[in-house]
Amino acid sequence: MMSFAWKTLRHRKAGFAGAFVALLCAAALVTACGMLLETGLRGSVAPERYAGTPVIVAGDQYARMTKKSGKEKAKILSERRWISASLAEEIGRIPGVTKVVTEVTFPYAGFTAHGWESAALTPFTLAQGRAPSAADEVVVDARHSGRAIPGYRVVGVTAQALPNQDTIFFSTDTARRLAGHAGQVTAIGVFPRVDVAVPGAVTYTGDERGAVEFPDAENARIRLISLGGALGGTSLLVAILVVVGTFALSMQQRRSEIALIRAVGATPRQARHLIGREALLISMIAGLIGSGSGILLGFWLRAVFVDLGAVPDNLRLVLSPFPSIVAALTTLVAAWVAARISVRRATTIRPVEALGETAMPTARLPWVRLVAGLLVTAGAVTLTIVLSSLSTEAASSPVTMLTALLWTTAVALLGPLIARVVTALPLRGPGVAGYLARKNLRAETGRFASLITPLTLVTAMTCTILFMQTTVEHAAQGERNAGVRADYVLGPGTSAGAVREIPGVRAATEVLHTSVRINLGRYSAQAVTPEGLAQTMDLKVMVGSLDGFGNTSAAISRTGGRSPQRRHRRRTAAGARRRHPRHGTGRRDLRPWPRLRRSDPAPPPRRGPR
Amino acid sequence: MTEAVRLDAVSKVFGRGQGSVAALREVTVGIPRGTFTAVMGPSGSGKSTFLHCAAGLDVPSSGSVRLGDTALAGMDENALTKLRRERVGFVFQAFNLVSALTVTENITLPLMLAGARVDRAWLDEILHRVGLAGRAGHRPAQLSGGQQQRVALARALVTRPEVVFGDEPTGALDTMTARDVLTLLREVVSALGQTVVMVTHDPVAASYADTVLFLADGRIVDAMTGPSADMVAERMTRLGAWN
Ligand SMILES: Nc1ncnc2c1ncn2[C@@H]1O[C@H](COP(=O)(O)OP(=O)(O)O)[C@@H](O)[C@H]1O
Ligand SMILES: [Mg+2]
Repeated sequence: MMSFAWKTLRHRKAGFAGAFVALLCAAALVTACGMLLETGLRGSVAPERYAGTPVIVAGDQYARMTKKSGKEKAKILSERRWISASLAEEIGRIPGVTKVVTEVTFPYAGFTAHGWESAALTPFTLAQGRAPSAADEVVVDARHSGRAIPGYRVVGVTAQALPNQDTIFFSTDTARRLAGHAGQVTAIGVFPRVDVAVPGAVTYTGDERGAVEFPDAENARIRLISLGGALGGTSLLVAILVVVGTFALSMQQRRSEIALIRAVGATPRQARHLIGREALLISMIAGLIGSGSGILLGFWLRAVFVDLGAVPDNLRLVLSPFPSIVAALTTLVAAWVAARISVRRATTIRPVEALGETAMPTARLPWVRLVAGLLVTAGAVTLTIVLSSLSTEAASSPVTMLTALLWTTAVALLGPLIARVVTALPLRGPGVAGYLARKNLRAETGRFASLITPLTLVTAMTCTILFMQTTVEHAAQGERNAGVRADYVLGPGTSAGAVREIPGVRAATEVLHTSVRINLGRYSAQAVTPEGLAQTMDLKVMVGSLDGFGNTSAAISRTGGRSPQRRHRRRTAAGARRRHPRHGTGRRDLRPWPRLRRSDPAPPPRRGPR
Repeated sequence: MTEAVRLDAVSKVFGRGQGSVAALREVTVGIPRGTFTAVMGPSGSGKSTFLHCAAGLDVPSSGSVRLGDTALAGMDENALTKLRRERVGFVFQAFNLVSALTVTENITLPLMLAGARVDRAWLDEILHRVGLAGRAGHRPAQLSGGQQQRVALARALVTRPEVVFGDEPTGALDTMTARDVLTLLREVVSALGQTVVMVTHDPVAASYADTVLFLADGRIVDAMTGPSADMVAERMTRLGAWN
């Protein structure tokens, strides 16, 4: 049987090419997505700055909540949570601790800035000059390009540099002042390696230290998990549907051959097995080649994500045989499922069809399929309507996928009907070829229908995956632009104070795009300096007013205000709970700047006047 | 003389109610072993249906079919399939061969499906007899129509079946090639004692048989032994086949 299947495959290469390519792509994509997923699950970033410190004590970078069911859920915060500087003394009293080093970390003019107090963490030592002591002194690292640091004087250069950050050191006092978290530090380094447990902070050792050092990597890791899962799952589903389509098509083309082998002595079981073996063979070859080339695809995808800024460069891919094995196995199962589905036709072929004239039966749509198709179509229409009323990214992304899936399933179910309707349309290509093509399509709506399904699926899914992100970004960009009244938008690293002193500047608003978590739900947030806000932004306040907008107030966007967590308690990234008087509801949906990095306090620069 | 196939009051009705078609009506006939029988009749007279019912490819609506001593009634599809591949051979008008397999593989396909051993000597003899000894490794696409039909005949013979059924086996061939294949069929009956039942609408083809059965409107209306092409043609004209 196996050799029969193998011979059929070799003989009918063209007929199986579609299924082969679909399975190969699926195997490659599943491998690549599996690599991303695994990196998300097990990947870690090696510490750089904390490399020389055995124990790091820092804030818990997750918002945690215990559900009613008793399960604890944790969601990563988009801003770093700081800890009290007084913990350092407490830790210093723990038996065995010989040295405690405090650190503040903040972005400054494109650099990662600290106070000289934390040089020992790496450790950084001076190659030239001296440590910063005055308020206007700074020390740069060994890879410093010579770029000036406005308002500061370089007094020393370190002997070391870190691979993924440009480090500068201010004097300890200056750094603490610039960091803007009075009485708080980013991390506390502990020497030597002892068990440290202090309330309100978490202890990190080994590669865990990397997660504290690079919160972006931690975010990217979590993003990779959902991205890898969604992309891999979708591509697998598409592959199954494409393979079902191509197998069904090949079944139709091979009706007479299958009828023949049934007539000369193949039991229905043997006919099924033959088709099954073909599927198995195809998927084995496609799975092997696909999962092999998937590794390359994985590296390429990672490179693309790094370029896009979605994944930091120092989050290395975790390499293991698992994604390839899983991809090969899943394509095997996918092909088997596809063969199982389409093989039903093979066994319903009556052997008498092989005798005499084999009339191709006109494909009648069974009513079960018709009803299922109409139901799915109804579902798809409903979801599309729901989707058009959703206006938050978090809610719409999964629904978008589901809607695309439902539409394609509907097309798959109603394929023959659509084929008949389309071919009945008075369309035709020019000339004899067009005439023949149309006649042919009309005569064989069955085959045409089998082709429509995989084509629709591939097109719909690819478009959904490719364009969903750009559509959301486009909408968010549009809304942000519409809300900006200012003549210029300046990029990160600009000093608002300096801008305000430029003659003729009437108002300058500092903007931070970030997110907050309310009962673990993620809401994008925009922080602004209130002075002159009305001149730089038009928030289209619907209820309330922005008069007196300040440190203890918040405005909620129309969509945010509609959410179930309407209470004004805000769990800020720093973990503090405050009560904010409600100041107004803006009409703009304050969506996040996509992939905005914590170190970028303002939107990218837009050159030229608006 | 024993009978290779026996049909008793076999009827076959397609469809139900208003649109139903009675393809066979109360057909009773016995095919003696070692004879060459032709079944003739106008188009739509039920020839193919007769063959399908006699060969266990289709189940009659009523009546009984026996192959040798075995009654086909009540057999399920699996049992019928096994019966077909062990005890019956087929030659169809077209679509006879699996294009992916070589001549030898096509011929031994029923054995492969049955998991039976190939009798090399018998295979060589059949190949020789059908004149394809030098083409054992060729694929169907490399063969002419007549050669393909001869491969099909070889496949029908390879299991040493009790009956070989042919549904217009020369229907798609030109006169000369058809004659070769018919001569071969005749030889198989005369030299090997094989039982052959062949459906045809060609009086010349029917003249190669020992007996001709005439079907009209689902009934056997006449039979003729030692037929000549002219006699068959004349009988067919009276049946209204060529008005
Ligand atoms: N599967 C079928 N379903 C319905 N009617 C059939 C079927 N097969 C044959 N018939 C009808 O039965 C009659 C006899 O058909 P058939 O045995 O093929 O005739 P012949 O082979 O002599 O041309 C014809 O009227 C034909 O339309
Ligand atoms: Mg017929």
